[in-house]
Amino acid sequence: MEVIAPDVDLFFLNFPFLFDQPKSQVRLINHKYTIIPSSKSVYSSVAFQSSYDHSTDRSTMKSIVVFHHFLFLLLFLSHLNSISSWKKEEFRNCNQTPFCERARSRKPQHCKLIATDVTIHDGDLTAKLITPDKFQDENSTNPLILSLSVYQNGILRMKIDEDPSHNPPKKRFQVPDVILPEFESNKLWLQRYTNDGDSFIVYLFDGYEAVVTSDPLEVFVREQSSGKRVLSFNSHGLFDFEQLRVKKEGDEWEERFRSHTDSRPFGPQSISFDVSFHGADFVYGIPEHATSLALKPTNGPGVEHSEPYRLFNLDVFEYLHESPFGLYGSIPFMLSHGKSHGTSGFFWLNAAEMQIDVLGSGWDAENSILLPSDEKRIDTLWMSEAGIVDAFFFIGPKPKDVMKQYASVTGTSAMPQLFSTGYHQCRWNYRDEEDVKNVDSKFDEYDIPYDVLWLDIEHTDGKRYFTWDKVLFPNPEGMQKDLASRGRRMVTIVDPHIKRDDNYHIHKEASKNGYYVKDASGKDFDGWCWPGSSSYIDMVNPEIRSWWGDKFAYTEYVGSTPSLYIWNDMNEPSVFNGPEVTMPRDALHYGNIEHRELHNAYGYYFHMATSEGILKREGGTDRPFVLSRAFFPGTQRYGTVWTGDNIAEWEHLRVSVPMILTLGLTGITFSGADVGGFFGNPDTELLVRWYQVAAYLPFFRGHAHHDTKRREPWLFGERNTELMSDAIRVRYTFLPYFYTLFREANVTGVPVARPLWMEFPHDEATFNNDEAFMVGNGLLVQGVYTKRAKDVTVYLPKDHTWYDLKSGTAYKGGKTQKMEVTDADIPVFQRSGTIIPRKDRFRRSTVQMENDPYTLVIAVDSSGAAEGELYIDDGKSYEFRQGAYIHRRFIFSNGKLTSVNLAPSSSHGTKFLSDCTIERIILLGYSAKPKSARIKPSNHAADIELGPLQIRSGIRSSALTIRKPNVGVSDDWTIQLL
Amino acid sequence: MKINTSIFTFFVLSSTLILRSTAISSNDRLGVAPEDEIYYKGLWSSGTIKCKDGSRTFTKSQLNDDFCDCFDGTDEPGTSACPTGKFFCRNAGHSALTLFSSRINDGICDCCDGSDEYDGKTRCKNTCWEAGKVARDKLMEQIALFQEGVAIRKHEIEQAKISAAKDEAELSNLKNEEKILKGIVQQLKEHKERIEKAVEKERIQKEKEVKQKKEAEESESKEHKSEEKVDAGEQEPVNNNDDEAAILDNPPSGQNLKENPAELPVDVVQNAHASLDNGEKGEDATKDIDSLSREDLGREIGSRWTGKKTDQQDHDINDVKNDYETSVNVHDEENNGYDTETDEDHQHYDDDEDTEAHMDDVGDAANDDSSSSYNYDPDDDMDMLDMETESSPSWFEKIQRTVRNILQNVNPFQTPVDVSEAENVKKEYDEAITKLSKLKSKISRLKKKLGNDFGPEKEFYSLYGQCFESKQNKYVYKVCPFKQATQEEGYSTTRLGKWEKFEESYNVMLFSNGDNCWNGPDRSLKARLRCGLKVELADVDEPSRCEYAAMLTTPALCLEGKLKELEDELDKQPQFHDEL
Repeated sequence: MEVIAPDVDLFFLNFPFLFDQPKSQVRLINHKYTIIPSSKSVYSSVAFQSSYDHSTDRSTMKSIVVFHHFLFLLLFLSHLNSISSWKKEEFRNCNQTPFCERARSRKPQHCKLIATDVTIHDGDLTAKLITPDKFQDENSTNPLILSLSVYQNGILRMKIDEDPSHNPPKKRFQVPDVILPEFESNKLWLQRYTNDGDSFIVYLFDGYEAVVTSDPLEVFVREQSSGKRVLSFNSHGLFDFEQLRVKKEGDEWEERFRSHTDSRPFGPQSISFDVSFHGADFVYGIPEHATSLALKPTNGPGVEHSEPYRLFNLDVFEYLHESPFGLYGSIPFMLSHGKSHGTSGFFWLNAAEMQIDVLGSGWDAENSILLPSDEKRIDTLWMSEAGIVDAFFFIGPKPKDVMKQYASVTGTSAMPQLFSTGYHQCRWNYRDEEDVKNVDSKFDEYDIPYDVLWLDIEHTDGKRYFTWDKVLFPNPEGMQKDLASRGRRMVTIVDPHIKRDDNYHIHKEASKNGYYVKDASGKDFDGWCWPGSSSYIDMVNPEIRSWWGDKFAYTEYVGSTPSLYIWNDMNEPSVFNGPEVTMPRDALHYGNIEHRELHNAYGYYFHMATSEGILKREGGTDRPFVLSRAFFPGTQRYGTVWTGDNIAEWEHLRVSVPMILTLGLTGITFSGADVGGFFGNPDTELLVRWYQVAAYLPFFRGHAHHDTKRREPWLFGERNTELMSDAIRVRYTFLPYFYTLFREANVTGVPVARPLWMEFPHDEATFNNDEAFMVGNGLLVQGVYTKRAKDVTVYLPKDHTWYDLKSGTAYKGGKTQKMEVTDADIPVFQRSGTIIPRKDRFRRSTVQMENDPYTLVIAVDSSGAAEGELYIDDGKSYEFRQGAYIHRRFIFSNGKLTSVNLAPSSSHGTKFLSDCTIERIILLGYSAKPKSARIKPSNHAADIELGPLQIRSGIRSSALTIRKPNVGVSDDWTIQLL
Repeated sequence: MKINTSIFTFFVLSSTLILRSTAISSNDRLGVAPEDEIYYKGLWSSGTIKCKDGSRTFTKSQLNDDFCDCFDGTDEPGTSACPTGKFFCRNAGHSALTLFSSRINDGICDCCDGSDEYDGKTRCKNTCWEAGKVARDKLMEQIALFQEGVAIRKHEIEQAKISAAKDEAELSNLKNEEKILKGIVQQLKEHKERIEKAVEKERIQKEKEVKQKKEAEESESKEHKSEEKVDAGEQEPVNNNDDEAAILDNPPSGQNLKENPAELPVDVVQNAHASLDNGEKGEDATKDIDSLSREDLGREIGSRWTGKKTDQQDHDINDVKNDYETSVNVHDEENNGYDTETDEDHQHYDDDEDTEAHMDDVGDAANDDSSSSYNYDPDDDMDMLDMETESSPSWFEKIQRTVRNILQNVNPFQTPVDVSEAENVKKEYDEAITKLSKLKSKISRLKKKLGNDFGPEKEFYSLYGQCFESKQNKYVYKVCPFKQATQEEGYSTTRLGKWEKFEESYNVMLFSNGDNCWNGPDRSLKARLRCGLKVELADVDEPSRCEYAAMLTTPALCLEGKLKELEDELDKQPQFHDEL
């Protein structure tokens, strides 16, 4: 293949496709030619396509190449304005990234450090890491300081940094404001350690202990009784820590990439090490990548050359699915799951560029490493350009334990406003106030519920955020109030690039106060983005964040009202003329921090500042809603994220599910993908399928690029309007369930949308399933990801019965079912043993649903029992923190349904009251045939008859239904079937 | 009247709730439409009826009991229990309304009589009489508009018939003239050729004599020169002159360019050139963005999302734009500016077309969203045609007379040839050729005009040759029926579409195949037609990328049938407050 230039190569792979296109479509195809999934060489990883055919006849290929030149010519002649697609050559690969290239080329047992001077200091176990004399050479370095801390509930924290007593030229950057302040109070102060020869042992939690071995240096967590390891660090001796040093004559520290030069004034400072996950069948996490849920190996036998998973926040134009390249956000948190141990996790708090290799088994075959070989193990290699080692080991062992452990470090998801769990309608751009009015009224005309209408960049006066285009939006308050009169909110976009215009008040203040990020020479950094020449607010500084937050006050953000919320885009940050479309690494932040050290956290600080501003404008009483594209650990505390500029293709619909599940696994549960795909025009069937899947994912927003055709749900004929509106309505009926799950996430860190293995950790068939997912523990959703599908295969986890949501048909678990599908919906099942609350009435938006009665759907298990919860609060304030909420557990057993209070009886503070009742209770899998029910304490009776599972024409009345029990949702009661 | 609310005590928190509607005499019939009363009657007699969709049955006590029994919502016309339910509000004083059940007791007053909000949580004023009055006034306005419009329309149809007949007559007249003129041209041609031959003969004779005296070199060169001259004269003179005439007398319009097959290849080549160039630019962008300046790089990368060619980026931000355009133009000139050149060419002829429009427009310029109309230039030829047609007998006679004289006076066989007479013949011949080519193009244009579909009654006849403008913000939209639609911003013109046809039985004008859109379809515009006394363009919008929509008012849409409908509707309206 090397004879063919890359671009031509891509054409080669795609030309049969092109060949069949009528002329009008050639343009479109060409426009996207490098992103067609079959392009094996689109990125250099052939790892995911190991069956690459090398035997292609070279002469044939040449003739094809010639043919391609012809095709090229043809395509240029067809009114082609721009070739646009993911441009891999504009992004650095590992070989072009010296620290990555160096780390990847190291061989096992490279590390010669040994641990000495082990002691307990300030409740931590500390040690010095030194190079023994026999390995000393002229490049010898100072000792490093290692410290281990133990925290409640199974968390080990390990820090490795330079020894400050040796006066390194610069203090390495430790990421502030990510770890919860209260986390420190969970620290267990170590009193002593056990010394077992070369090993130093501290007790961790629940039968687990942490071990540091001196020579060779290794840190690991193991089960005390069996000695079985869970997680280990430097077991392969790949640890390397480039210490900061004074520049010597002849040192070439500058790095060049394309036309950009990175001055690198502090020289090499990267860190790399290996981490092993023991007892692991699969590893997951480390978003954001458009890849499968279970991470595929990137290096090792049988793996063709692949890039490592890259964590570097980037604005990638038309990103690929199935690519390990970095996208908009980064969370250096990896989880493993396996049959033998269960789940464990490893989190490295570091905001510099990171590259992570998942090593295929046998990668180290040439090196004899003495690790217990009787267990499954996944080794990984972690590489970062700068910072320190600040790593957390989470021992699990259950999936939800790891969720809780990680959440105790970085926080749980903020409790969202109820409205934000509904449907959002966005487009780049709704043009003007009239357009907004029309779109809004169409939702009512078709009786489709929605909660939020969004305005993209064009609403501003020349991309000056916090302003309005006076011609297109002359009366923004009136517009927002009009929407609000029907319970609807608006979201406007506010990005971090500030137009360098002396008449723009934000720019004036920011430049005057020195609030901008500086370039390497100390001047305000000047980059190019939507407004043209722009500077970027330095959000790392808390003072600047506070200033920024004040800009959201109603008096400052003229034209904003309490029903307006915010969208932060481009906060990677995106710099059109910067290296890799982002900020140069040698740019300087507050405190002389180099951009390279905190790049991945820039967007996080911006999101934080905005979120705090929205909180401030209502005096801390109104929960912020801020959507961000960039993210970092901790983002979950500040708002919502979405998967950026995806494409209207089936493969992008498919990959949106693992991407969102992965975000959930790594703490960010409130996430979604643009419904329909941002770029391109989805065909109607794809759009409908997208709505059907996305309706069950946490953040549900339709969005589209301004070059695409309008695609609001009513634009595709009566039938398709009905299908899309059905999907949206189903979402609204499940909102009480979603809201309860958001509360669970808020309390425990367990995500709303979960991989199957999280709920069924012993069912191996679920471990790498990322086509289906669970909403809470009760609903299993299987997407349809192919065109004109007549049936799909669904794996239903074992030891449960599954009830089809529409028909009520029961399926035994433990089997892969082939289900027929129609265009009407995707397969969704309720698990036996669960009770799910719904609101089945249709309304314009969540606001009008407030007083509507509930429906409970009970799916009994083999013993005739089921359980479920319902959480309700005012949907917007923080009074729930004072106990102003309703939290019920519904327990069904022996033919009796009981509502139990889970909320603490708050002696102080406010109460939340609701007049809502339960109007209908549906029973699935209940074998007796009761005719009525007796309700206590009121002692009235309710009829039982056969009713539908959902009220729609054409649905059979097949389910036992308790008609009008009309019990209060906030009361204690029992309903006995007679 | 107070309603007995006993069945709804569950909802009704306030006993003071008063529903103003007199239509509902019973809660049981809350939300029932009058045409459904018969259906619900069965419930009173038998106590049980089937849901309308036949799926189940329900009893009297299940009617409006706030629990959905029928999937089609027929047991709950008055509550929100059934998702598919429909609620009828009588809205006495205004028009009745059928609501989705989702609107019932949702805190928003949807019915002007307030009957959709009865749970006591929201109080709605009865606004029906006021709203009805507004609607009735509007209706009466509409009727008045239509009445006047219908008359104008009738007049226009008559005018159209006269104009069309006139144009037809003109066409046949012109064809006749063409025939005669062709004959004259032929005669003159023969005559001229004879004279030329004679002159040539004479000249050769003279030259021979001179040649003998002069050196060979000199004579050779002279011979060559004259040969050339003769050749030029003999090359299909009609065509040559045709082109010349077009250039001299008719500023070439886009239409003309397209019509002229000789021009077409140039056009295609230009387009091809431009796109090839674009392609190369795109290619450059992928490979050579490193060579761009920092600013250009920013623009180039940004343009991937915006889809704007970089030289169009930020057109809404003047300072950036100005700086930038200057730099780009310089850049383009230095390298190869096919792109820019093509654009400019394009602009030039549009500007020519629009000169008059701009002048017309000066008065309105201050107005932000204005609408205006004018006759368009390219069909100025039509005006010219009219003008010349009036005077045509005189020029036609004149030319005939002159030719007669010439033919009589000039004797080609006379030697030596009378030089001035020969010049006269040549001049007359050239003139005749010019006239003939003009005549031909007039005929072709008139034929083209008459070939259009002007509606079943030719009611759109008068729109031919006119343009209608609407200024919206920074753009001027221009719709020229039967020709094209454009969008202008400053000096740049974008073609939104060429005239295609009427659609939806003459309710929509479709302009399609406009300028290409980056990453999108070719631009198109649909102008929806409405009854109006004047032809005016309004509400131009781009609901989807590069698909434009506009509204055009015209008397042609003021139909008598529609007037009748409106009058009937007014008759149904309550005339007095007492009717409530």
